[in-house]
Amino acid sequence: MRRGFPWARHAVLIVVSAIMLLPFYWVFKTAITNENIYAFPPRLLPQDPHPYNFVDVWYLIPFPRYLLNSVIVSVMAVIGNVVLNAMAAYALTQNFRAKKLVVLLLLSCMLIPFQATIIPAYLITARIGLLNTYLGLALPLLSTIVCIFIYKAAFEAVPRSLVEAARMDGLSEWRIIAHVLLPLSRPAIATNVILAFIWSWNSFMWPLIVTRDANMQTLPLGLARFLSYMEDTTGALYAFVCMVLAPGILVFLMAQSAFIRGLTHGATKG
Amino acid sequence: MTPSGSPAHLARRAGTGTGWWGRKRTRQAALILCFLLPSLAIFLLYRVIPLGWNAILSFQSWSPMRPPRWVGFEHYEEMLFYDDIFWTALWNTLIWIGAAPVAIILALGIALLVNSDLKGASVYRTIVFLSYPLMTVAVGIIWRWMYDERGGFINWALRIAGIIDRPLGFLQSFDLAMASVIVTDIWQVIGFYMIILLTGLQQIPQHLYEAARVDGVPRHAVFLYVTLPMLRPSLFLCAVIGLLNSFTSFDLVYVMTNGGPGHATELLITYIYKLGFGQTKFDYAAAVTVVQFLLLLALTFLANRLAGGNAGAVEKD
Repeated sequence: MRRGFPWARHAVLIVVSAIMLLPFYWVFKTAITNENIYAFPPRLLPQDPHPYNFVDVWYLIPFPRYLLNSVIVSVMAVIGNVVLNAMAAYALTQNFRAKKLVVLLLLSCMLIPFQATIIPAYLITARIGLLNTYLGLALPLLSTIVCIFIYKAAFEAVPRSLVEAARMDGLSEWRIIAHVLLPLSRPAIATNVILAFIWSWNSFMWPLIVTRDANMQTLPLGLARFLSYMEDTTGALYAFVCMVLAPGILVFLMAQSAFIRGLTHGATKG
Repeated sequence: MTPSGSPAHLARRAGTGTGWWGRKRTRQAALILCFLLPSLAIFLLYRVIPLGWNAILSFQSWSPMRPPRWVGFEHYEEMLFYDDIFWTALWNTLIWIGAAPVAIILALGIALLVNSDLKGASVYRTIVFLSYPLMTVAVGIIWRWMYDERGGFINWALRIAGIIDRPLGFLQSFDLAMASVIVTDIWQVIGFYMIILLTGLQQIPQHLYEAARVDGVPRHAVFLYVTLPMLRPSLFLCAVIGLLNSFTSFDLVYVMTNGGPGHATELLITYIYKLGFGQTKFDYAAAVTVVQFLLLLALTFLANRLAGGNAGAVEKD
């Protein structure tokens, strides 16, 4: 692959990049203009760009509320994953009798997509009275099997002698995790944070099922709801889309390599 | 609190003294249990129990006020023999899964192009990957706009190019809607396939290529006999993601077409949602879920066999 024509490869890749980026441009263009979107042909360049659509989104629909709900659920999911997965992973680095069984259980659970269990999951959530609550929204996301294994691999990479020394010094198991293992497993923590955040932030089907009223809706639900109200008639919808996507894109561009590493680790979660 | 000199501590440190040892082991076991419990509880509550309950539910008649009643295979009979929508949804799901290889091949092409000393390769990589971690609901809305009859870019471009003279309602057309949604799906996941294949490509030992060059093996043969076989675990991983994707594509279909027009883009997962939460037929929806889950298991097993049975390679990564 080292030979060949660099310009030809550039040409192909530029076309591919254009296809990947154009939809973003098209939506952004619509979000900052007030063009008559029923006119043909559409303008390629934004005419008289203005920010009013964004202002509308902020004030006319409960955008801050959606944002708050999304943030609360995501923060719960991130904390849950970082803490609970670390605990479970630490347990799995120890020797105990049922360990094989637990690992087998976890591996087979990975084969069950969450979407394949939504109906009983809904009934269970209803029975324990968590419908339409933050905890109900976050609970299935609080711990993730892939992330447990990511932690486990990181913990096992820490020299055993270090852990033994800490134990000799009388550190409790909690402290061994907090002061010895975790500081040496920063990439695993980053992966946990990123995956938990993406999965909860983008999660749509579960909140759709579990929430009852608009006050509990998260951003993707608000977006879908807005879509059904407005039926494409306004640039505000696309301003909304941009406002939802912008933080994600920024975070991605800043922490790209951690993102990619995390997502390839968590591949099978889908 | 450092009882370093106390006899108890010394005993514990030495690991001798049966009393201490025994208590320490019990404590250790209790601790392990406590550490595992929260995660296991969540998986039991949201994976294991629902899977079992779902299977039970599919053999029951369920309604919110009455206790459930056993009905045997009634739902399965209705589904398999009388429900055309189920068959449409099943067929569409298979088409959806069948589109994954197309995406994987395209992604392999891009990965091969990007995996070189090409200047700016990392920029291309970022751009192609960018759409993957984004919110699928937003992606669906973006592409609705791209496909729009008047304001959409695609209709505009096709008309400028003289390929069509009337705007096409891509998402409103029985013939085009499915393909249009699949294109959007490919657009979103292709970067992910690319990254996985790229990782696989970079793990192929360079000396294999050196050896092939020394032996004068033609490039297409190198690709067929070195690159592809070495990529098998990565390709398998892509295939599994493609399979799971038929479950996780709910968001995209829901936003773009909601299964329409008619049931032209109905997938099993959107059908399950409509049955369960639109018509409160939880029992029947559970039966459809069982079918989809078995389909997924069977296809995963098949993909594993095709990849040479080394699914373990995935876990190792």
